[in-house]
Amino acid sequence: MREWLARLRDWLRRDALDRDLKEELRFHRERLERDARDAGVGPEEAPYAARRRLGNETRVREEARERWSIPWLDHFQQDVRYALRGLRRSPGFTITVILALGLGIGANAAMFGVIDRLMFRPFPCLRDASQVHRVYLQSTNRGQVETRGGMEYTRYLDLRRWTTTFSQYAGYSLGVTVVGTGDASRERRIARVSAEFFDFFDARPVRGRFFVASEDTTPVGAPVAVLGHAFWMAEFGGRDVLGETIQIGNIPATIIGVAPRGFVGVSESEAPAAYIPITTYAGNANFQRDPTNYYTRYNWGWMNVMARRRPGVSVEQASRDLSEAHRRSWIAELAFDTDGTPADVAQPRAIAGPLKSAAGPTAGLESKTLLWVTGVAVIVLLIACANVANLMLARVLRRRREIAVRLALGVSRGRLMAQALTESLLLATLGCVAGVAIAQWGGAALRRLFVRDSSSLDVLTDWRTLGVAAAAALAAAVLTGLGPALLGTRAGLAESLKSGAREGTHQRSRTRAALLVLQGALSVILLVGAGLFVRSLGHVRDMRLGFDVEPVLIVSRSLRGMRLDDSAQVMLGRRLLETGRGIPGVEHATWVSSVPFWSTSGTDFFVAGIDSVRRLGRFTYQTATPGYFAAMGTRILRGRAFTAEDGANAQDRANVPKVVVVSEAMARVLWPGQEALGQCVRIGRDTMPCTTVIGIAEDAVQSSLLDDDTRFRFYLPLDQYYPENGHTLLLRMRTDPVHDVERVRRELQAVMPGQSYVSVRPLRELIADQRRSWKVGATMFVAFGLLALVVAGVGLYGVIAYNVTQRMHELGVRVALGARTGDIVRLVVGQGVRVALVGVVIGTALALWASRWIQPLLFQQSAKDPLIYSLVGAVLLVVALAASASPAFRATKVDPNAALRAE
Amino acid sequence: MTPTPTLKRDLLPGTLDMLILKTLAAQSMHGYGIAQHIQRLSREVLVVEEGSLYPALQRMRQKGWIKAGWRQTPNNQRARYYTITAAGRRQLGAQETGFAERMAAINRVMGIA
Repeated sequence: MREWLARLRDWLRRDALDRDLKEELRFHRERLERDARDAGVGPEEAPYAARRRLGNETRVREEARERWSIPWLDHFQQDVRYALRGLRRSPGFTITVILALGLGIGANAAMFGVIDRLMFRPFPCLRDASQVHRVYLQSTNRGQVETRGGMEYTRYLDLRRWTTTFSQYAGYSLGVTVVGTGDASRERRIARVSAEFFDFFDARPVRGRFFVASEDTTPVGAPVAVLGHAFWMAEFGGRDVLGETIQIGNIPATIIGVAPRGFVGVSESEAPAAYIPITTYAGNANFQRDPTNYYTRYNWGWMNVMARRRPGVSVEQASRDLSEAHRRSWIAELAFDTDGTPADVAQPRAIAGPLKSAAGPTAGLESKTLLWVTGVAVIVLLIACANVANLMLARVLRRRREIAVRLALGVSRGRLMAQALTESLLLATLGCVAGVAIAQWGGAALRRLFVRDSSSLDVLTDWRTLGVAAAAALAAAVLTGLGPALLGTRAGLAESLKSGAREGTHQRSRTRAALLVLQGALSVILLVGAGLFVRSLGHVRDMRLGFDVEPVLIVSRSLRGMRLDDSAQVMLGRRLLETGRGIPGVEHATWVSSVPFWSTSGTDFFVAGIDSVRRLGRFTYQTATPGYFAAMGTRILRGRAFTAEDGANAQDRANVPKVVVVSEAMARVLWPGQEALGQCVRIGRDTMPCTTVIGIAEDAVQSSLLDDDTRFRFYLPLDQYYPENGHTLLLRMRTDPVHDVERVRRELQAVMPGQSYVSVRPLRELIADQRRSWKVGATMFVAFGLLALVVAGVGLYGVIAYNVTQRMHELGVRVALGARTGDIVRLVVGQGVRVALVGVVIGTALALWASRWIQPLLFQQSAKDPLIYSLVGAVLLVVALAASASPAFRATKVDPNAALRAE
Repeated sequence: MTPTPTLKRDLLPGTLDMLILKTLAAQSMHGYGIAQHIQRLSREVLVVEEGSLYPALQRMRQKGWIKAGWRQTPNNQRARYYTITAAGRRQLGAQETGFAERMAAINRVMGIA
């Protein structure tokens, strides 16, 4: 190895070494001459004597020189020089190829950068990442296998106790909590982790220490915190903060350490601002009636578990071990919940899965869509390669005679192949550079689309992405270079030398047509995908959610450990509502108990004539103050919404008739064929007095755009039920809500007592997360599909134009024999259209074949929509027509006299 | 001129390297000096053919056993001097041991010892 490095170094300075050797030998000869003279040889004879002693100087030089020559490297260098000269002579070709390959490679590098970060790349500092798993639990519910990553602390203790195949365990939970006090308080990401968590990593705190097991104990851990590096730098300027107190939620925590730079724990988005012991968080969570519940009962599944497999234990063994432990834990839970499903029915199991949730069994549509888009990027590269191969082929055909002459002069086919491959390697390398630049530039756009993560998508400093770009370039070089190289050197020697330009082109133009068909077919697949996703996104956007998204702001209040009694809470609620109404730009304001896509509540209720409403589906309720329907824009279809008279403003609150508004779907399922207005619902127990249905509201989405069995929903006046239960204020804005977030927050914060806190965000943001997978699919498929179409169109144009040039003579003869302009145009255009048609047919077949896998990713859209397929076919034909138009026009200008004279 | 035995034919493989290293272990020297040194110490029995000497020097330099650099001779001429490196000294030690063993073995076969 060392010797080879030395040889390489010598090869680089071989000219200097040659000179050194020459001088060295001259010195040697001079000394020998002097020796000869000293021995009495005459001055004329001395040089000859010396030369005899020295032997054949040229041979000495040759032999020594072999030590620093590396023949294949010499050849390679020659080939590179030769290729560079050739490329400089045809700049149009070179630029087209570099651009096509650059787009293909860039698309792949950029997509790889995204999915690698989301799914594959191990967390920084994590030791032996392949041994570390996240634990997923499974159980069967009504015949459906449900998988979840979250679990209870008690369950975590059970798994630790009852498994043997893991050497390390840690619980963790990431959440957003208000950090700081007074006006400086902000919502931050906080990691609540077991003390063992830090043992999974090769990380040392840059200040102080991490917390230890004695600070992470049930029932309540120690109030200590380790700061994240970025937060420490941004908030404290990197000064010594050990021993200071930082308010995290309701916990005044002492700072005991600072995590190293780049440490993010297992956070898949931005790095946590601080790490606190998981039991410190759970023990202080004051909504639990009994603070020991979280580690003795199974009613709060809020955390995740990671574990390290022991060496020599397979993933399957580990999962089996976990499954057995989950079963025991399930049975243990039944001791508290006699209504629970028996273990034999629920079949509890567990999986030692990937640490990154996007790669795990609970990954959402977005991960799947991203994998598809990555596949699309590969297709774009294939199209680019097909196009470049075509251009190279044309080049080889033009140089056929040159190649034949060189073969005749005795250049080996191997050398010619090497030369051709060097050229494509060079082009691919340049394409790779262009690709990295494109990926870097496109990275900004991608970041906006997918990665909520603040860690940058800087391609230039990312070796994994650069490696993939290089691999893609190498693959492109082989794909584009090998075919033309083989074809070029295979050409019959004598035949090529004696034939003119015309013979033998037909068979090769078949190869080229096949490449064009391939491009066309792949473009069809991408465009069909684009159409499907665009339509899906359209359906998602057009879908009436049952409320307005755009004008609504969500205001959450957090009391942060302040104990307010119920009436004080109600007072605070009223004050906030009044303040909210008074803010300029606010149209309506309402208190609610749950927010769409965030939380839902359910309760038992009873309807005469129905044994169990639970069996009909899942019913959820919303409690709200009277402005609700106006604020959300949910339409009342019949009857009325509740008013102030139903609640707070009523004269005699105890005797106000209880009222409810139900969704249309709920009315239909409870009272089919009957008038729902005026019906009686008993809420809570069947002995409760009637709650009368006073209105029917339109159906509204609650937790997921996909899940449509949650449209059974009813609305209760907040004041009649749980007046202290409104945690969230909804404001309907007349102005742009996104713009007003900070202004609204400041005005409301002014009303909040003590350390309590409000946070404001637009409802739009919650919806955007829900729509993201289709948006990603639509954007990426459209971008890549158009790219493919342009590349394929340019390729088609190139080939047809080339063919017209080749056939000028034949066309001239045709004109001379009486062919009209229309005939010539039909001839040329027909060729392009034929290629496009075959491409459309093959592409359509492939797209239909793939449709069953893409179907689950779409939204209310058939993957076999004939409209989209025919539209795509039409687009491709139009492109084919456009691409052949200009060559066809040129063909009509052919001069028959010139053609005949040339004969 | 009497025919002189040449190293290439008459010495065991690797011996030339050893002789060069041994020579350089005493002091840095140029190619001519090395050849002369070996010839003198062997009482003209071993004549280093320059055709073998220079390729061998290049090879040993690439292996990292010796270093080369231009210097002035005592007569104020410019010459390329070779210097043994630490790796070269280790190599020399190993070769000397191996050579001694082989010589002993040959001597035993020849019945000299």
